[in-house]
Amino acid sequence: MSRPVRSAIYPASVTVLRALPRNVAVQLGVGAAICLAMIVIWTGTGGYFWPRWVLFGVGVILALQIAPRLAWRLPPGRRRRLALHLALDAVIGPLEVIVWALSGGGLFWPAYPLAALTIAFALHAWLEYQRPDSHERELTSRIDVLTRSRRGALDTQAAELRRIERDLHDGAQARLVSLGMSLGLAEKLLETDPEGAAKLLAEARSSTLSALDDLRTVMQAIHPSVLADRGLPGAIEALALDVSVPVEITYDVAGYASPPIESAMYFAVAECLANVVKHSHARRATVRVEHRDGRLVAIVADDGIGGARLGFGSGLQGIADRLEAFDGGLRLRSPDGGPTTVTMEVPCELSSART
Amino acid sequence: MRVVIGEDLALLRDGLTRLLEASGFEVVGAVSDAPSAAALLERDDIDVAVLDIRMPPTFTNEGLKLALAARQRRPGMPIVVLSQFVEQLYARELLESGEGGLGYLLKDRVADVDEFVAAVRQVAAGGTVLDPKVVASLLSRASAREPLARLTPREREVLRLIAQGRSNAGIAAGLFLSEKAIGKHINNIFTKLDLPMAADDNRRVLAVLAYLQAADSPTR
Ligand SMILES: Nc1ncnc2c1ncn2[C@@H]1O[C@H](COP(=O)(O)OP(=O)(O)OP(=O)(O)O)[C@@H](O)[C@H]1O
Ligand SMILES: [Mg+2]
Repeated sequence: MSRPVRSAIYPASVTVLRALPRNVAVQLGVGAAICLAMIVIWTGTGGYFWPRWVLFGVGVILALQIAPRLAWRLPPGRRRRLALHLALDAVIGPLEVIVWALSGGGLFWPAYPLAALTIAFALHAWLEYQRPDSHERELTSRIDVLTRSRRGALDTQAAELRRIERDLHDGAQARLVSLGMSLGLAEKLLETDPEGAAKLLAEARSSTLSALDDLRTVMQAIHPSVLADRGLPGAIEALALDVSVPVEITYDVAGYASPPIESAMYFAVAECLANVVKHSHARRATVRVEHRDGRLVAIVADDGIGGARLGFGSGLQGIADRLEAFDGGLRLRSPDGGPTTVTMEVPCELSSART
Repeated sequence: MRVVIGEDLALLRDGLTRLLEASGFEVVGAVSDAPSAAALLERDDIDVAVLDIRMPPTFTNEGLKLALAARQRRPGMPIVVLSQFVEQLYARELLESGEGGLGYLLKDRVADVDEFVAAVRQVAAGGTVLDPKVVASLLSRASAREPLARLTPREREVLRLIAQGRSNAGIAAGLFLSEKAIGKHINNIFTKLDLPMAADDNRRVLAVLAYLQAADSPTR
């Protein structure tokens, strides 16, 4: 939009104009043109300034269009309802005063309807504030959900950290302790019993291998390297290569989700595929990942025996908790006899580059 | 034999250098990041390269990318890729060209010095060496399929060692059997899987790996 006029009211009027839909703007233009034409005709004929009735009519129509629309821009709820009421009053009130003025003044009769309008508005406002707003109720329940899911996420996270600590303690750490013992003993035996020392050293070496295995498992459970390397599509492809059931992957996401969401989705798909292998007796499975309506959606389906239930193990429930922390969720369709479809989704915006 | 090393952790880089030099290799370069490793790989006078998969600058899979790029320029250039984790996905990408002279091993394997050095030598000679972990996962995926299910347990053992890149002598030593017995097992395996008998060891490895990987490969 160009800026032909620089006046004090310009910014405000432009804001209002921009806020209006195109058809209202067109009506505004047409209305102004009609009024202008009538005034031009009147300058020819002269006499009683009759175009004021045209101006009045056009003005009423436009005001009735614009005022409610502006009020409608508020978020739904009692503020919007009151604003709508006020917008109507703002048209009807001045309308009556103008009619009074145009019809030649006299006794100020609009005082009565104006008073009625004011009382009606006050009553409406009082009623609105008597009961809790539905919008507010919605917000309150949402806060409840968020509090619950945050607590759930924190619980899940704390449980996960405990599990990692236990894995490290029972696995790698225990093995390193025994490794130290074997090495110490071997050192002692070196002189007196070289053969025994060699045996201990061999044991020590195999102990390091097991410790490495343990560490690897823990590290992969925290953040799989292939996810860091390749992002979600590559990581899901790698998952599919590691399960014994053939998996068909469709990855239809034009962009990158944020790392926490990618990670949550990765572990969700990993758990579903693990379930397919463990429970489903399926002959094949499909994984479909897509982005629609602002949500990242992953669907894992198999042609197995079905009967999957939330809460029977920690796997599916864990996914549900994790996704809920992102404001997402899990839907399970798994009738007895199959097939099973797990749909997981998280609201998420995509970025064009990996972060 | 001339070798170059790309590994960002000084401890492991020095260890690898020492280990290879002690085994009769000449280490002509040991660098700690991907760009310097790329420069080293340009040299035509090296017999084999040992690359960590994860190096600066991005600490993701630059070792793998370097290996693929170098082998595109010089097909069959012997490279051993080392990693803290093994992924079938990466094994597949490395093997895609169908050329030998390739190793993909867990870093853990350096603990067994003799075996590790043998693997590097084998790669330098144009062989293919895959980590037992990759092979195990390949086999578990493929073993549900019909022809593989018909192999005897012993034959499956032999198949596993073939896929890791062992020679007949290596397999025989690993299973405490005679080379003649191994030859018979291999014959049976190739017949049951309907694979053409390969002329040399490396072609045999590649044929088996291709067979195992072909198992309902996922589509995208
Ligand atoms: N794809 C599937 N097909 C058939 N049954 C399934 C499938 N996925 C899950 N189930 C059933 O639903 C139950 C719950 O699964 P969930 O992943 O929550 O627990 P789990 O796999 O038994 O244990 P965990 O995941 O904690 O190791 C499983 O015990 C299994 O009986
Ligand atoms: Mg489970």
